[in-house]
Amino acid sequence: MALPHPTASWQPMQDGNVFYRRQQFYSVEGKFPDLDNFIVSGCRYGGPLAMMRDTTKLVALGRSNAPFSKNEIRIYSSAGEGLLLFTWSQAKIIKFGWTFDERLVVLNEEGTYRVYDLQGEYQQWSLGTDASETGVVDARIHENGIVSMTGALALLEVKGWDGGQPLVLASAGLTEPPHSWTIIPPDQTISRHVEVLISAEATIFSVDNLECVDQRLSRGPFTHLAPSPNGKSLALLTFSGILWVVSTNFQRNLAEFDTKTAAAIGAEGPARQVEWCGNDAILVTWDRLALLVGPNGDTLSFFYTGAVHAVSELDGVRVVGPDVCDFIQKVPASTLSIFRPGSATPGAILYDAWEGFTRRSPKADESVRSIRPDLAAAVDECIDAAGREWEAYWQRRLLDAAKFGRAFLDLFNPTDFVMMGQTLKVLSAVRYYEIGIPLTYSQYSYTSPNHLVTRLTSRSLHLLALRISTYLSLKPDAVLKHWACAKIAKSKPVASADATVDGGDEELCRVITEKFKAVGGGGVSYADIAKRAWEVGRAGLATRLLDYETQAADQVPLLLNMKQDRLALEKAVNSGDTDLVYHVLLHLYNRMPLGSFFRLIEEGGPRLAPASRLLQVYAREQNREMLRDFYYSDDRRVESAILSLEEASTMSDANAKINAVKAAQKFFSDDKERGFEAKMMDESVRLLTFQQQLEKDVDGKVLVFGQSVDATIHTCLVNGMTKKAEKVRSDFKVPDKRFWYIKLRALTTIRDFDGLDAFAKSKRSPIGYEPFVRHLVEKGHGKEASTYVAKCDAPKRADLYADCGEWTMAAKECKDRGDRAKLEQILQRCPNSLIARELERTLSSMK
Amino acid sequence: MSEGVSSLEESPSDQQVDLSILSELGKNALVNSLNSVNGAKTLVLDPSLAGPLGLLTEVSLLKHHGVDKMFWLEAGPLSVTTTNIVYLCRPNIKLIKTIADQVKRLTQDSQKHTFMLMLVPRTSTLVSRILEEEGVLGDITVSSFSLQLIPLEDDVISLENDNAFKEIWVDGDETAVYDSAQALITFQKLYGLFPRILGKGDAASRLTGLLTRLLPQASTSDVPETLMAPSEKLDSLIILDRRVDMLTPLLTQLTYEGLIDELIGIRNTYVELPSSLLNQSTTAGPSAPPSTAANTSTAPAAVLAKEKKKKHRLTASTDKLFAELRDLNFSSVGKRLNRTARELDEESKHGKLQAKTVAQLRDFVGKLGGLQSLRLHTGVSEMIVPLTRTDNFNRALEIQQNLLSSYDPSAQITAIEDLMAQGADLQIVIRLLCLASLTNGGIKAKTLEGLKRDILQSYGYDRLPLLLSLSSPSLSLIVPNPIPPSFPPSVAASKIPWSSVRKALRLVADDEAGNDDSPQDISYVYSGYAPLSVRLVQCVAQKGGVLSNSATGDGRKNGKSSNPSELQVRAHPIIGWRGFEDVLASLPGDTIDVQQKGLRGNNVNGPSADATKMILQDRTSTTVVFFLGGCTYTEIAALRWVGRQSRGEKFLIATTSIISGEGIINSISGGSKGPPSKEATL
Repeated sequence: MALPHPTASWQPMQDGNVFYRRQQFYSVEGKFPDLDNFIVSGCRYGGPLAMMRDTTKLVALGRSNAPFSKNEIRIYSSAGEGLLLFTWSQAKIIKFGWTFDERLVVLNEEGTYRVYDLQGEYQQWSLGTDASETGVVDARIHENGIVSMTGALALLEVKGWDGGQPLVLASAGLTEPPHSWTIIPPDQTISRHVEVLISAEATIFSVDNLECVDQRLSRGPFTHLAPSPNGKSLALLTFSGILWVVSTNFQRNLAEFDTKTAAAIGAEGPARQVEWCGNDAILVTWDRLALLVGPNGDTLSFFYTGAVHAVSELDGVRVVGPDVCDFIQKVPASTLSIFRPGSATPGAILYDAWEGFTRRSPKADESVRSIRPDLAAAVDECIDAAGREWEAYWQRRLLDAAKFGRAFLDLFNPTDFVMMGQTLKVLSAVRYYEIGIPLTYSQYSYTSPNHLVTRLTSRSLHLLALRISTYLSLKPDAVLKHWACAKIAKSKPVASADATVDGGDEELCRVITEKFKAVGGGGVSYADIAKRAWEVGRAGLATRLLDYETQAADQVPLLLNMKQDRLALEKAVNSGDTDLVYHVLLHLYNRMPLGSFFRLIEEGGPRLAPASRLLQVYAREQNREMLRDFYYSDDRRVESAILSLEEASTMSDANAKINAVKAAQKFFSDDKERGFEAKMMDESVRLLTFQQQLEKDVDGKVLVFGQSVDATIHTCLVNGMTKKAEKVRSDFKVPDKRFWYIKLRALTTIRDFDGLDAFAKSKRSPIGYEPFVRHLVEKGHGKEASTYVAKCDAPKRADLYADCGEWTMAAKECKDRGDRAKLEQILQRCPNSLIARELERTLSSMK
Repeated sequence: MSEGVSSLEESPSDQQVDLSILSELGKNALVNSLNSVNGAKTLVLDPSLAGPLGLLTEVSLLKHHGVDKMFWLEAGPLSVTTTNIVYLCRPNIKLIKTIADQVKRLTQDSQKHTFMLMLVPRTSTLVSRILEEEGVLGDITVSSFSLQLIPLEDDVISLENDNAFKEIWVDGDETAVYDSAQALITFQKLYGLFPRILGKGDAASRLTGLLTRLLPQASTSDVPETLMAPSEKLDSLIILDRRVDMLTPLLTQLTYEGLIDELIGIRNTYVELPSSLLNQSTTAGPSAPPSTAANTSTAPAAVLAKEKKKKHRLTASTDKLFAELRDLNFSSVGKRLNRTARELDEESKHGKLQAKTVAQLRDFVGKLGGLQSLRLHTGVSEMIVPLTRTDNFNRALEIQQNLLSSYDPSAQITAIEDLMAQGADLQIVIRLLCLASLTNGGIKAKTLEGLKRDILQSYGYDRLPLLLSLSSPSLSLIVPNPIPPSFPPSVAASKIPWSSVRKALRLVADDEAGNDDSPQDISYVYSGYAPLSVRLVQCVAQKGGVLSNSATGDGRKNGKSSNPSELQVRAHPIIGWRGFEDVLASLPGDTIDVQQKGLRGNNVNGPSADATKMILQDRTSTTVVFFLGGCTYTEIAALRWVGRQSRGEKFLIATTSIISGEGIINSISGGSKGPPSKEATL
């Protein structure tokens, strides 16, 4: 093999303690336009590059290979393959950048932003009216949100990519646009909220949604600000060319370097980019030079034939030049340990031993035995180093070395080894230049295999994505769904040309479902696919596909779009999810004429009854007018009446209240089953009218309106209006028993004991006299109560007297009846010794 | 005798299902939601959520996460100083409108505010729609706080949704059913699938349907291991909807905790007591801070207690005496208090003599905590006793007992009329009336009209909607007899054949079973009536207990010398409703029996195989009983009693909320009168 040794690409730094290496990913000669004239944004994790012409620069006509119109955005893979091209017809683009899931976000000066996937489909949102009025002047896009600067120099933050509400961050009090600014994404700050760093005059302001802190620096202004991938350090470049690295809380100075010292090798004019290479070195680029600055101010320089664009990665930096796509990184620890010249680590010895073994050198066995205690670690190191190598040749050699070492181990868990083999296979597949995703092992570990599969799917590389998911035992659902959607979208022209043969609804539906069955896509959401079919205008196919969907929550919105109202409502009701029912109801209420809306619900009968009841719950609080119409149109008299009564109960105006009750009475009387209720409401109206009149008669001194019949009688009695009370009693046919109780309570309340006595004597009490005693005692009128005891049943008298506190009488009663046991019982209850002695005397006087 | 104690003595390792995970889950959800808003924030709280929230977290935790001030969500303007305002409420239309009003008002302020609305337990289209109609949807960020089952005790978990009953059976809004399904799925995610779901009632049947249907959905995204196969710790879920047994909550609860709820009122395990009872400063003698006092919640600055009352949390976890008392019939509470007092007295005398080492001293001080709790419960009993001596209370009890045993129904109606004439509470009268209608299959049309007229005249004509709701087909609590042909057939179907059910399930105990001190049957909780709901649970989990209480009684007599664990009968495995099919068929509502095999449930052994396995291994398994629409304290007490009768079986009671007859009647008569909104503390 003529491949160069891994160390061939290494370059030492810090006196040979640290090595950096530049690996060439792809040769891209002639594939990209001249980057100098373009605004470029690269997606992390080996993702694509988006380019747009820099309209501030002049372009020489006729020379470039493809004319690049002014409003065009092109997306290339890292290998230089064109992925997508679209034209922008809206207002001037302010910024574009990438999301975590490899979608391109494009923001214009009117505050509108679109999120494009790699198929050119987009969703559009706006930053709100503030932004569109003052305009957007600049923005920073991170993986999970945007921070934009409006014309009024206010900062607006949007979290996530689903059209979230823009949040206003604290004001930095800027009067002019900052020299430069940057953001630290929320997942890398301590507060977990986005932090904005703004270079204004000589200092830097850190702004979040609460406050703006002046960091009180004096070295500014700065032309470039760049936070490291882990958000812990910040690189600053001053106008005078000093590169300065500090911790993001500005507490620690990490490094300083004067870029002018590199002027001799081409660092002329302002730097193009300041990007981090991993978390511990910084790449500063000029037109033909990329200068890597290490922690101690050591530098390495890399030369290119033209303008370059650098994309900071977790573990290095990707540099795209006119001819090559390179990756510059610190040599990983495991690789360094094995390949570093003169290394004597167990890993290096193991690798050496294996090489010796392939050469049939007898020393191999001996050297493996010499590292016996560390052999497991050495094996692991070889496996890890295999992951860090780019060339399959070296990967294989390192894995072979690991395998060789494994043979000397008694117990070895092969999981890591197998996993690495699998991973390298996957990585090598996606690194292939036609795919063009130069993903490193650590990036792959960070973003997860699922993420990779999604990325492949969004490039419409369904077969590869499916094979990789099967290979890694991932669920193929997402891939299949995307495939089906794409299939539907693509088949449309065929369908219009020859509807019956290939692209027919039935045929297509069959193809899709069979495919799913074959590869086990049990969890695929048919609703999403059906939605896609509906969007491309194939309602028939959509209906067919929707039948396969098991989740009502997914079926319903589409059914609504397809105007399958009744079906949507039925599915929603059957799902048991009340919120879904509301969703349908409110949607239909908005869209349909009221009459047909009601008819839809009424004709549903018991099946749609839950929907009908939910509508009532909603309308009772929010839309009574509609509820009244609903009851009216359905001849629901009882409900109408109850509604009227409910309204009556909240009214304060007497006449309105009476009218509302009258209305209820009318509704009840229209229903021949509700004669009783009608009669009651009639009584209610009479009572209210009587009460109204009564209040008028006494000039409102007595408040009685709205009271019950019993309470009205009570109130009349308490206020000495006996006649009125009698009138209510006869008008409303209050039974004797109840009336007596009411009067008893009322007279006790006003302590009219004479009146009570007269009342008691007026005729034989229908409730007996015991209630008199009990009630008076309860209210603390024991003395008055005792007068009624004589009228009670003889056996109870003794106890009743005792209740009244008339101990002597109680004793006398016992004596009269000769009830010795009772007296002893009462003796137990007596409150003091004086009474006790008296009772005892009585007791002793009994035989 | 030792029932109360035995449950406490079980070692923690015996605790099959660790409920603390549930409260951790709730707490984390809250903290995450709060942290998503940066900086100081004002929390505006739906009063009905204060109780549940108080069970999950303390004010200090909220403060720690940036809550500056808290307000009740009430109509009227809101004066806030912070930029961030976080609303926390249930998706109740009235509350949402109040929020919309406040947002409208605050957006006109000079100060800019950011609004966030956290909906419990999930976001809702309805809410967005109302916010949109009110024109504030753009100003407010809507998110959700998934508050699901909250542990109240170590064997009771609750959704604490007080309106569930009313929403389901009065409004016909089955959101609570859906939320229950979601909560039970979360529960299964944590503890594993229920191998078998049994149940009774139409709403219970819908809940089961949702559970089995939602489960595959819940598992599509990322399948937790627990949903793959039936749990080994749980043996079944028994779902009872409240409609199946409306009788029980109508009766007056006669256990200690039940009576406190009836007469004083317990809300979210908190009871309001005169502060003198809770204040230890009045106690004479050496006062180390007693453990129970530390438990009383501290009021947030936002609200000050108006009355001289204090909230106290009734819980067995810190109050051992309460653990003994709570499930006793009230008639034996006095005796138990007496005995405890004597014990404490003796021990403290010894303590004074012996407290020489620090350990002994600590022991002694610990006893003082017991003293404090003794004082508290004696005080509470003193409050309750006079209330149980009133005429109306005892007459109502008598009417209840007579109605249950179908003794002279027409005389009972007259008795109810008399009670009304004497001015008894509306809720008492209504409860008795419903009971009369349920036990007699309705009330004669003529009599019923007279009764209704009396009610309307005595308590106001505005009670007509309440009466109409009670006789509506969905509740059918008060129906005329015979049922007029104009009524929908469902009303006739919902009748309980009371006398046959009473006999078949032995609902009304014979005289000899009523020993209150060492009860022989669950009927002790109502002094002679065995709650129908708990009997149904016994039909599944303890079939012997339904037929007679001799099984356990004999065991007791014979096994006096042997140790208590062997004295208990080994629980039989869950084999469904077998043996009681006829009774169940005669009760209204669907009967449910579903087996869950899990996603990789290819190995169909059948229930019998599982059951035998369980017996062989002599394991303890937990049966979850879910009350859809709420359960009473007496039912909890009865279930605890059932659980103590057999070895190897535990009950975990889950419910939408703890209810009482009064609460039900109040919630039917109008939403606003339901939960009193005067809670002062979390």
